[in-house]
Amino acid sequence: MPDKVEFVTIFIDGEAYQVPKGANLVDVAKFYADNDIPVFCYHPKMSPVGMCRMCLVELGNSVDRQTNDIKYNADGKPEVMWFPKLQTACTTTVTHGMAVRTDTPKVTDARDDVIEFILTSHPLDCPICDKGGECPLQNLTMRHGAGVSRFDFDNKLHLDKHVPLGELIYLDRERCIQCARCTRFCDEVVGDPVLGFHERGRSLQIVTLSDPPFDTYFSGNTTDICPVGALTTADFRFGARPWELNEVPSLDPYGPEGANISLSTRLDRDSGGVTIIKRVMPRQNEYVNEIWISDKTRFGHHHSRAENRLSKPMVRREDGTLETVSWNEALNTIAEVLKKSAGSVGAVAGPMVSNEDLWELRQLVELTGGSKLGIWPATMTGAEAVAQVGVGTGTNFKDMGKGTTIVVVASDLEEEAPIWFLRTKQARDRGAKLMLLTARPTKLDKYAACILRHHHGETLNAVNNLIGAVLSSDGFTFEESRAEGFDTVKKAKYKGDEAGYDEAAKMITGAENVVVLVGHEGLTLAQHGDVMQSAANLLILTGHVGKPNNGLIPVWPGANTQGALDLGFSAEATADALSQSVVIVAGADPVGTDPAAKAFIASADFVIALSMFDTATTAIAKVILPRQSVPERDGTFTNGERRVQRFYTAQGLIGDTRPDWKVFSQLSNLIDPAVKVRLSAAAVMAEITKNVPRYAEMSYKNLARMEKQFPDVGGDDLYYGGTAYGNHGGLGVQWPVDAEAAGKKLTLKAVKSEKTAKRKGLVAVPVRRLYDRSPEFSASQMMHQRIPSAYAQLSRKDAEKLKVVEGDDITLVFGDGKVRVTAKVDGSTPEGVVLVPVNLTDNPVPTAPMAVEVEK
Amino acid sequence: MEHILLRSRDISDIRKLDVYLRNGGYEGLKKAVLEHTSDQVIQIVKDSGLRGRGGAGFSTGMKWSFIPRDYPVKYVVVNADESEPGTFKDRELMEFNPHQVIEGAMIAAYAIKARAVYIYLRGEFWDIAGDLDQCIEQAREKGLVGQNILGTDWSCECYTHLGAGAYICGEETALLNSLQGLIGQPRVRPPFPAQVGGGLYYEPTVVNNVETLANVPWIIVNGAEAYKKIGTEKSPGTKIFCVSGHVNNPGNYEFPLGITFRQLIEAAGGMRDGKKCKAILPSGASGPVVPGTDKVLDTPLTYEDVAAIDTVLGSASVIIMDEDTDMVWAALKMARFFKHESCGKCTPCREGTYWLYRVISDLYKGNATLKDIELLADVAANMQGVTICALGDFAANPILSTVKHFRAEYEAYVKAQKPATVASAAD
Repeated sequence: MPDKVEFVTIFIDGEAYQVPKGANLVDVAKFYADNDIPVFCYHPKMSPVGMCRMCLVELGNSVDRQTNDIKYNADGKPEVMWFPKLQTACTTTVTHGMAVRTDTPKVTDARDDVIEFILTSHPLDCPICDKGGECPLQNLTMRHGAGVSRFDFDNKLHLDKHVPLGELIYLDRERCIQCARCTRFCDEVVGDPVLGFHERGRSLQIVTLSDPPFDTYFSGNTTDICPVGALTTADFRFGARPWELNEVPSLDPYGPEGANISLSTRLDRDSGGVTIIKRVMPRQNEYVNEIWISDKTRFGHHHSRAENRLSKPMVRREDGTLETVSWNEALNTIAEVLKKSAGSVGAVAGPMVSNEDLWELRQLVELTGGSKLGIWPATMTGAEAVAQVGVGTGTNFKDMGKGTTIVVVASDLEEEAPIWFLRTKQARDRGAKLMLLTARPTKLDKYAACILRHHHGETLNAVNNLIGAVLSSDGFTFEESRAEGFDTVKKAKYKGDEAGYDEAAKMITGAENVVVLVGHEGLTLAQHGDVMQSAANLLILTGHVGKPNNGLIPVWPGANTQGALDLGFSAEATADALSQSVVIVAGADPVGTDPAAKAFIASADFVIALSMFDTATTAIAKVILPRQSVPERDGTFTNGERRVQRFYTAQGLIGDTRPDWKVFSQLSNLIDPAVKVRLSAAAVMAEITKNVPRYAEMSYKNLARMEKQFPDVGGDDLYYGGTAYGNHGGLGVQWPVDAEAAGKKLTLKAVKSEKTAKRKGLVAVPVRRLYDRSPEFSASQMMHQRIPSAYAQLSRKDAEKLKVVEGDDITLVFGDGKVRVTAKVDGSTPEGVVLVPVNLTDNPVPTAPMAVEVEK
Repeated sequence: MEHILLRSRDISDIRKLDVYLRNGGYEGLKKAVLEHTSDQVIQIVKDSGLRGRGGAGFSTGMKWSFIPRDYPVKYVVVNADESEPGTFKDRELMEFNPHQVIEGAMIAAYAIKARAVYIYLRGEFWDIAGDLDQCIEQAREKGLVGQNILGTDWSCECYTHLGAGAYICGEETALLNSLQGLIGQPRVRPPFPAQVGGGLYYEPTVVNNVETLANVPWIIVNGAEAYKKIGTEKSPGTKIFCVSGHVNNPGNYEFPLGITFRQLIEAAGGMRDGKKCKAILPSGASGPVVPGTDKVLDTPLTYEDVAAIDTVLGSASVIIMDEDTDMVWAALKMARFFKHESCGKCTPCREGTYWLYRVISDLYKGNATLKDIELLADVAANMQGVTICALGDFAANPILSTVKHFRAEYEAYVKAQKPATVASAAD
């Protein structure tokens, strides 16, 4: 709960409670009085509709109209005027002196009646229902059901039980109790109104209205919040019974949001008797993802036991053939090479590599005398900006509303960080203002209060001009004590008079809180660094730093990019790292994802690839070591809000694999026996806490700490969370930025605006799509229909010039690289730009903007 | 007696604008707009004691006074979704005296300073909607609708809108949803339509029945006092009674409130074939049925007197049933109606209407036991008072009241496995 709320006294079953004014009665009863008012249609994350009538209570008022005080009788009990009719608790917000009775015969009878009514239409197929065992209807039937049915069985309606709402979600029409949770989720939470009610009365049914059906990145969440087994996923349907499942806390391995998930695992005969993941569920973390996850997170887990996983170490012999070898041989081979490397060792780590792995990798590289530590993809930078003004600790999108301005810079948030998209949209629904500094329309446009459109690649000037407008806006003052370097900003002489920038500046200066999310669309690495610095300047100048819900959030390309930066890796070092004579590539495929990387790595004598799959990089590697997927091991990731979070071992090992940290630790030991082999990820983290000041508090114990969350969704009672699971793995810990440290002066480093070059020819701008063909995600076959085929997007004018029409096969030529894609012609694409999604094509496309020629 | 509402019976062709204007038409609007402030208009209507004719009988002036004064966007919605079985009064008003409805709506719009009037008609009234559109255009030409009405700076548009065939859309919040293009299901109140967040497009909105508004021009012209002299103290004015069933001359009858059932039946030509009155549905299918006893027949038709005999006046769609009527059959027909028309939003109504229909169907076919009569009554009772709108209560009424007053007929079906006496109520 936010702190600023006013508390009022209410009476629940005669007991007085102090509760936040205006809160929902159902939530309040649960959180403060431990009183579960039963609900089906109500959900604390959505507006109440009062349709299921399960939450009926006796409601009254004890307030004297004249004095607004609670009237007490001689016994000290409140004198209550009761409403004659029962009221739905879910549509009631608490007011001073409100009285509620939840345990009277009148209330109990009404609830019994509602359950009886619902069961007249609900099939008795609990024994084969996926929800059976964790079903709110089942549970409430235990509490309120009659035991004997008065409804004639022959009168039951029989409806379709396998209605596909798209290929991911199935609807069982018999089981649906018409609670409208799924439709409201799509309408309100996501803003994709793709589900709706059709018909009326007993024929009322859920239908999908989009093409493709159920077209949203969040469809799986409807199965969690469905209070019965009406909505099931194609992934888990008939896969296991809930009571056989073991819930293991884990993290989304894909996105920078760090979505908390729970892996439901069980020993599986079909998988050779190992423990495997049967489904992925959200895990409540109100700071991070509340109870929502994207379909990529939910259905993208199949890579962890894909058949084409690398399972044993391999060494490339002189003749180029690969030979499976023992770990000992592989490690000894590497150790010998490293010993002779004379410090020409570089390492490049991908976005799914954990902090523990990164730490041990760094130790290894430094032990050999090397220092080049790169990240992959090397598209984003700005560790310094984050260290100064990253969002304040305790930041929570859920607290953002009126008074908050959220600025999204150079990012298509829905594709790059769907959870942040969802939470930004909801903050806007609560009254926050959304400002976009983007080069093309995205789904966020319809929610934006202000859009500062600019050409791809000119984002820096847009941010600078916004600073210019802020500086020249009325009443702008700058306290010198806040930061050094104000003169550099003044000297930079930013333009502040462009159309629309005044209004935008007011949205920044007039806001209580400002959060800036920075992506990298259309930017080179250097440009991105400048934009990050300039965004940091904007925040420092306006004082929106060092407190919760203020500061910078980079929309990093992966789950642990932040962790890599924290531990000394950087995108700037990547090119150098790839150019060393010995290159260690962990969890990344530079050769397969960037034409430029091939040239760098060509100079390497010896490439060591740690990978889950065969890739273009393993194809040139001298030694290939099989990596473990996230569910097979434990570790930590640091999300884009700098929250360090733990994931736990959930799944049995596939093949003979070792966690990366162990591999690197063993190699260090082989090179120098004085270096001890670490025995666990926890021990590695203990080392990190000792050596990395920002991570001093990140012991596994601290990271596992829990606090009671509001609303109380994830309990074992399946109260109103559907099957969304409680959090037993910890909420994680954020490291504080400089702006939060008392007395620490920040530094403004003005970045000069760029001269806008005359635009000649077409520029290929790489864009990120949520569903791509990375080997990890494409291992989930069920998602293949939703992954776009390789395409490039052109503006109508350019398409006309090139005589290209929608659907044409075209070839994009950039430098030495070439890809064949399908043309999409679209009014939203800016002229002079070809939008090229990364990770969709067989051949790599550039990771930074680059001149391109289009051939038919 | 001269009609206040069914003036087409006194003046032929009053549906034409020139005839209407010659006979005092739009004088009420002129008087309201040119001589009174909005607040004065509301006060006059409040003083007249006019009660909503759609069924609930709520004070019309009071309803208007709930609209926030200074709020910028407000609407008047005319509920012309006349769907209650046995109700056919609004249809006649709109067909034969349309300008009086438009005038009343415009006065209401002036009273709350609405930006637009929407007349929401049931889908089957497409022909009436077409005629109304023409009437609105004629009124616009005379400066009575649209921009700068009567030369003042007040502007208000008037539109018609057709529903898609759902009884529930006569319920005001479901109507608003339907008008907005949403599924026709009622909304949770509060917020009420008059409040910000509760009305059409969530702006403050007055929703009035056609007949209610048709009273308004007369009230403005003749004053509240004159109106109060008609009818009774608590139920002033005249009312159109839709008389149907086993009477000789079914149809609409306009009388001051306070006339008794007996007088109404006589006005409608008396009972058909000289039979006795067995039962009366005073407000279509949704109010409880009452037996045709002397006490009932001598009850004055006012909101308060009808309530005293445990039923409701509602929209005064009085269905008369003679001694040959099979009350189980009648209840079955109504159960089927409500099963068909429940919107499905609230569990008890959605499931209960279906359940009631199945049980009473079985009973009607002779497949029931005495326990099923208890079941019927119990299920119906469980539906009452627990739903968002009143449809759940309405659907239970015919069952509860027939079981109460005509239990013997239900028992006869069970005991004798009595075959159906009337044509089967097929699905």
